[in-house]
Amino acid sequence: MPYFLIILASLFSSVSLIAQDKTTISGYVRDAASGEVLIGAVVQIKDTQNATSTNSYGYYALQISDPNTELIVSFVGYQFLEQTINASENKRYNFELISSDNQLEEVVVSVKKQNDNVTKAQMGAFNFTMEEVKNIPVVFGERDILKTIQLLPGIGKGGEGSSNFYVRGGGADQNLILLDEATVYNAAHLLGFFSTFNSDAIKDVELYKGGIPAQYGGRISSVMDINMVDGNNKKFAAEGGLGLIASRLKLEGPIVRDKGSFMVSGRRTYADLFLKLSNDETVNQSKLYFYDLNAKVNYRFNDKNTLYASGYFGKDDLGYGDLFSFDWGNATATVRWNHIFNEKLFSNTSLIYSDFTYNVNVSNDESDFTIASKIENFNLKEDLSYYADNKNTLRFGLNLLRQKISPASLSARGESAVNSIDIESRSGVEAAAYISHEWKPSSWLSMIYGLRATDFMVQGPGTFYNYDEEGDPVGEQSFDGGVIKHYFNLEPRLSLSAILSQEHSVKASYNRIVQNLHQLTNTTSSLPTDQYVVSSINIKPQYADQAALGYFRNFNNNAYEFSMEAYYKYMGNQIDFRNGADLQANIYLEGELLYGIGRSYGLEWYLRKSKGKLNGWISYTLAKSERQFEQINDGEWFNARQDRTHDISIVGMYELSKKWSLGATFLYYTGNAITFPSGKYQVDGRTLFYYTERNGYRMPDYHRLDLSATYEPRKENKRFHSSWSFGLYNAYNRRNAYIIDFRENEQNANVTEAYKVALFGIIPSVTWNFKF
Amino acid sequence: MRRYIYLFINVCIASITFSCEEIIEVNLNEGDPKYVIEADLTSLSSDQVIRVTQTVPFNADVPSKPIENARVDVSNSKGEVFNFAHQGQGYYVVENLKPRENVVYNLSVNIDNELFEATSKLEDFVPIDSMGVIEERVFNESYYFVLFKFNDPVDTPNYYRYSTSVNGSPFKFSSAFSDKFNDGLYVTHQIANSDNSLAMGDSVVVRRQCVSKDVYNYWNEIQFANPGNAAPSNPKSNISNGAFGYFSVTAAKEYGIRIEVL
Repeated sequence: MPYFLIILASLFSSVSLIAQDKTTISGYVRDAASGEVLIGAVVQIKDTQNATSTNSYGYYALQISDPNTELIVSFVGYQFLEQTINASENKRYNFELISSDNQLEEVVVSVKKQNDNVTKAQMGAFNFTMEEVKNIPVVFGERDILKTIQLLPGIGKGGEGSSNFYVRGGGADQNLILLDEATVYNAAHLLGFFSTFNSDAIKDVELYKGGIPAQYGGRISSVMDINMVDGNNKKFAAEGGLGLIASRLKLEGPIVRDKGSFMVSGRRTYADLFLKLSNDETVNQSKLYFYDLNAKVNYRFNDKNTLYASGYFGKDDLGYGDLFSFDWGNATATVRWNHIFNEKLFSNTSLIYSDFTYNVNVSNDESDFTIASKIENFNLKEDLSYYADNKNTLRFGLNLLRQKISPASLSARGESAVNSIDIESRSGVEAAAYISHEWKPSSWLSMIYGLRATDFMVQGPGTFYNYDEEGDPVGEQSFDGGVIKHYFNLEPRLSLSAILSQEHSVKASYNRIVQNLHQLTNTTSSLPTDQYVVSSINIKPQYADQAALGYFRNFNNNAYEFSMEAYYKYMGNQIDFRNGADLQANIYLEGELLYGIGRSYGLEWYLRKSKGKLNGWISYTLAKSERQFEQINDGEWFNARQDRTHDISIVGMYELSKKWSLGATFLYYTGNAITFPSGKYQVDGRTLFYYTERNGYRMPDYHRLDLSATYEPRKENKRFHSSWSFGLYNAYNRRNAYIIDFRENEQNANVTEAYKVALFGIIPSVTWNFKF
Repeated sequence: MRRYIYLFINVCIASITFSCEEIIEVNLNEGDPKYVIEADLTSLSSDQVIRVTQTVPFNADVPSKPIENARVDVSNSKGEVFNFAHQGQGYYVVENLKPRENVVYNLSVNIDNELFEATSKLEDFVPIDSMGVIEERVFNESYYFVLFKFNDPVDTPNYYRYSTSVNGSPFKFSSAFSDKFNDGLYVTHQIANSDNSLAMGDSVVVRRQCVSKDVYNYWNEIQFANPGNAAPSNPKSNISNGAFGYFSVTAAKEYGIRIEVL
């Protein structure tokens, strides 16, 4: 840690020295209608490459050398703004941009498209605002940012009935999903048919699959950073939708005009209401629904201080009469304080809590018990940005994260025929410090390099076991408290861009990331009951080293973006299980784990058109992802389940007229690697299957076409808008295999057969949306 | 527990989606053949049968291939040796082996000079207190189960295995239990046949065996094999040298009951 401070101090002073005596203007860029801050808006000195973009709170700082400077402020989907400023000393300039949606029809909207994707050093990143993706077709008419992300290159889809995604061959638990900085542990509703992200409440999402900046850590494959909307601070507004499966409502408005606002957004499904129609008493008392609630308030005390508080609460509830119930959900809470020390130094302090819990209740004649499990974390973060000059930005910060896992414990009630079981909780504290320097040494080169240092401390109290080769416990150590073990890691990060011209560049990146939270999944579709473990005496931190190289090119005045990236990722300390592992309420759980390595590599192509009536993108990934464990597959490399040779997505959105817009997505990917039998035998008259090679087979290729149409009637009056969304999921009714299984033939038990189960055929949907 | 969760999730998925099932052709490889040894010696009689077979390709029209040239012996810690005689179709028999408590039994199977060995010890039989039949209704369907009630011995791990014979059919494995969650309690086990299809009027014989941990693990892996498993594998055998199957020496009892109006 002291070394780290020295490095930080010296970098800081060297950058400060470079900074010349110039005027810095700073401020916020906002939406003119709602006052919502815009993230990633570009503030540029006209006719120069001197530009900066707003951070996740809408703040920018830019140095100018001439007091009279012409600026261009722009953001995707907004009319750009040209303004001449007159500043001879450091000064605040806040800008408001007008959304192209709110334009009078007569005005021709010219959206200035940026070439950030070419010139910025960052690679392997995507950014979407909800507005950009609103016409992409979705299942059951529910917009879902998590499913949209899966249409990008390098992001493997979890398939039907799963909100999982796999980034560059990594596991589903290797993605850091943040909602207003809070970790979301389980991003799935209804066993994966929906994600936990209600699109109404979301402003934008940033996804990193490589060259992950130093301010992020904790998951080795990707970061998905989601920002909630702050709420309209100019006027009260409501927005909602009625769909076949779910309904939504969002309310927002000023607390004090132009100073503070609130936003509340809720959603609930009502498929279970149909169960009430059943005349079977147990069935009509059954439950099957989810709801979620997002809320956020912000208040700007003065020019220098803004406070944000936001939270999410969601729950899924399944129940069968009084006999059985199963509920699970995430909760998050974030309090953030933005403080501007001076034009150049922006600080954000966050205090974050999030948890994920599940409960199972069983109550019948024999047994009456509850199983409860919880994982929670408290997180304190301090992030600072120092805008030294237009060529140097320093980001540095500290982070203290405490995670606690209370594994499934069973508590019996009354005269129950089961015993209560209490499994020790486990906790760990991760202290991290980072520094990262964004540097543009010349007009053709820009880079971000940084270092993150983490110290993961395994916390007591607890009893830890040692295991032999077979996984049987051979010794135990008890600890009262305090730190049992440190895992100290340095994580270097680098991305750089060689700008060949304003239209094309070559980028390279490298990152090392360490992960101390591990999810144990032994099913193909992860369940809410999957257990989490933190690094311990036996479980070492997972880590990944990833290197990537890319070529970025824009055409036609930035109307087309093209990129090609190649990557190689090595993953250490990966976890798998012994055959027949018992992962439930097992105090010797760690004895069931096996440790190995992984590697993945691939090529990704991406072509996007973002101007004109027709826009959308094509993405194609050619990739390989493998694992190696001494005790699995005779120690030979085997395909990871999510290994997909080919993965193609085509997304098209077309504005047919002022009233109608159309959307279509087509996807195709190689089936998952899977273990199928290579023979059969009989034991006690029962046919069993003989497995030889782990993941040696493939599911059939998956492909699907979804269509959508949105109808927006001419605005009848100024205040009230409504629209209809029609969707057709799986338009050509492809029966994609969800499961392939094997069984004895019913007529002749000597003969065995394979069968597949497909989940969805063609599904139409309709949703009515309103806004006022 | 897992059983409840899987059942429930399956029902939910089935009810909220329009799932459909169809028979398909899958091109499967042929693995190197493996020997399979089923050696379930029980205290029910002194006639014991051990079966030795071999795996066959998935598309074969026979369930397995009998091995007829094996030398099958069981010896015990008392120094007795029982030589099993081949009776055809891979069945090997003796007529004078009645397992006894506190005696360790060793299985030795020699096939073409490849030796496969295993060891098992008779576990104490846990007597039942009462038995009965119960009907459960799940989504308007009736399911019938045979119930066993008994006191699980305190502070010792116990493992139970049940197989059933319905209307005189051969015994088939139905379920295995451990006392992980109910050690030392008054326990109820709910038994159906392997495909949960007991019907009114059926005459059922349930064989209850108290098995060792490795045999329980073997059957537990089999009963929880499901298509949602990320990495299906061959259940772990207690027989050496990579043979499939299991060697179990148990105290067993059989209970007959008719599924009737309650």
